[in-house]
Amino acid sequence: MSKRVLVVEDQEDNRQILRDLLASAGYEMIEVNDGEGAVIAARTQSPDLILMDIQLPILDGYEATRRIKAQSELRHIPIIVVTSYALSGDEEKARAAGCDAYVAKPYSARKLLETINRYLT
Amino acid sequence: MNLEADSTTSFLGQRPLAAISRASRDGTSVKDGLVGFGSRPSLRTKLLMAFLVIEVLLVSVGVIGFLSLREADKQTNQVLALQQKIEAYRQVQHDTLRQLHGVSTALAFPNETTLASALRQINQFGYGLDRVSFVEKDELALLDQLREEYARFIAVVSDVVDLIRKGRAADAKQSELAELGPLADKLERLTNQLVNRAEADMVAGIDASRQTYAKSQILVAAVALASLILTLVLGHAISRSVIDPVHIIHQGLNRIAGGDFTQRIDVPNRDELGALAAHVNSTCEELQQLYQSLEEASRHKSQFLANMSHELRTPLNAILGFSELLLDGIYGDLPKKMQSAVERIQRNGRHLLGLINDVLDLSKIEAGQLRLSLADYSVEELVSGVYTSVESLAAEKNLSLRIAVPPGLPPARGDERRLAQALFNLVGNAIKFTDAGEVWIEVETKGDSYIFSVRDTGPGVDEADQTKIFQEFQQVDNSITKTKGGAGLGLAIVKRIVEMHAGRIWIESRIGHGATFSFLVPARLEQQAMQT
Repeated sequence: MSKRVLVVEDQEDNRQILRDLLASAGYEMIEVNDGEGAVIAARTQSPDLILMDIQLPILDGYEATRRIKAQSELRHIPIIVVTSYALSGDEEKARAAGCDAYVAKPYSARKLLETINRYLT
Repeated sequence: MNLEADSTTSFLGQRPLAAISRASRDGTSVKDGLVGFGSRPSLRTKLLMAFLVIEVLLVSVGVIGFLSLREADKQTNQVLALQQKIEAYRQVQHDTLRQLHGVSTALAFPNETTLASALRQINQFGYGLDRVSFVEKDELALLDQLREEYARFIAVVSDVVDLIRKGRAADAKQSELAELGPLADKLERLTNQLVNRAEADMVAGIDASRQTYAKSQILVAAVALASLILTLVLGHAISRSVIDPVHIIHQGLNRIAGGDFTQRIDVPNRDELGALAAHVNSTCEELQQLYQSLEEASRHKSQFLANMSHELRTPLNAILGFSELLLDGIYGDLPKKMQSAVERIQRNGRHLLGLINDVLDLSKIEAGQLRLSLADYSVEELVSGVYTSVESLAAEKNLSLRIAVPPGLPPARGDERRLAQALFNLVGNAIKFTDAGEVWIEVETKGDSYIFSVRDTGPGVDEADQTKIFQEFQQVDNSITKTKGGAGLGLAIVKRIVEMHAGRIWIESRIGHGATFSFLVPARLEQQAMQT
């Protein structure tokens, strides 16, 4: 059974890239486009990994990460934060929220896949 | 006489006492805190008042000295007059004795010579008494009595002389024994009384003079001492009322210079210094408002840049992402021509990303928003990381890229990512501007610092341009840079990063002989340097 990756991303084009990338690597992709959806999907879909954007409608990526990591039964799911914010301090903020890795946009598809593989194999 | 001396002394004594009490009153009010004395008048008035008080003190010391001298002189004169009086009384005694003697001689040897002598003495008699001046009231009665007895004595002497001349020696003898003797005794008693009194007065006068002298001495010393203390207190108060506000204003200006506009200077003075403090306060308020609006503008600018960066990166992310997926063959193999076109899309997309990053970095640094994240790093790893990321660029241009890092360097401390960015910018520039030859990345230690150098065999930089190239948007204006492009932000960013590491950057170059860019940073930076 293929591993399931929850992608939290509000931009359709970026979702398409990840769709193509993850499909090519043989992963199943669950999509939500806001932070609240991410918290619900984390519980109901039990993904193997979460790719989390930061700038999201309703609930931002930091808060969504914090809420997921606050639940003991979900804490084990690795969260990779993907953000366009390159301001200093963003990485620290993401780490403080409890994410496992941090990738700045624009990312190299190949490198992102390497990071995902590290957590899923 | 004593009464008079006492009254003079007390007259003298009152003035300095009043002066001292006045002085001490002033002193306490000054000490009470610059409020009564120090706050209202202007600085000029304060200084004038202080000098005036000092002058008044000087004048009063002089006046007191003068009055003391006059008093001493007066007492000396009194003593001299007393001496004269005593002498006069003694003269009367002496004259009386001589008269008696003259009469006795005339009785014993009654001839014209002795008689003329006795009469001559009568004429001279009493001169001394007339000379006696400076007489006390209670002495007058005594003196009158003396004069009366004297007149009688002279009358009897004249009678006796007359009797002798008439040859009535026995009657004369009788008269001498019965009247002259007792009269002379009485005169002697009276004069003795007067002399004794005068002598007692003189002793008292000398005593009083001595006391006055001692009193004057104490008085002058006390006034001088009081003046000294008052002057010191006054000087202290004046200097406090001047120096303290200056000090407070100075501290306030330092705070303002340090960027703290929240505090106000509190100077209680209502003089020029108070006005100055008020002026500084209002200027500070204006500065605060200006600073706040600038800060707000800067915040807006940063926010705008952050937003713009995000907005620009999102589509760029899609462009770079899809071109990478295309090139990776995820959508199937690309025809060769198409592959080359997609590579160009990717290359230009990365270039655009670099420019966006540079603009963002520089504005963050300028807004003071870029904080270094200090941690231990390995110089060797930093250099090899940069080497890896520029390797392909050098290879594309057939340049040989070499690194020289001394082995076994201890862990350094700084912001590894930013230092790598700085080194990357320098190496990137070197590769960009060098068409043939080599690029070296070298590290050497100098004391507690590391020097990172990037040397190339490029066209070199004109001496006149060497100072300009570290400023943003400045490029050496020649055909080479025009063909190479670039926004001229790279070196400006390197310079800022190096300065934030408390380091410095410099260039050594000659046209046609390549260039060496070097920066020195402390091996272990514990605190980010203040930005200038």
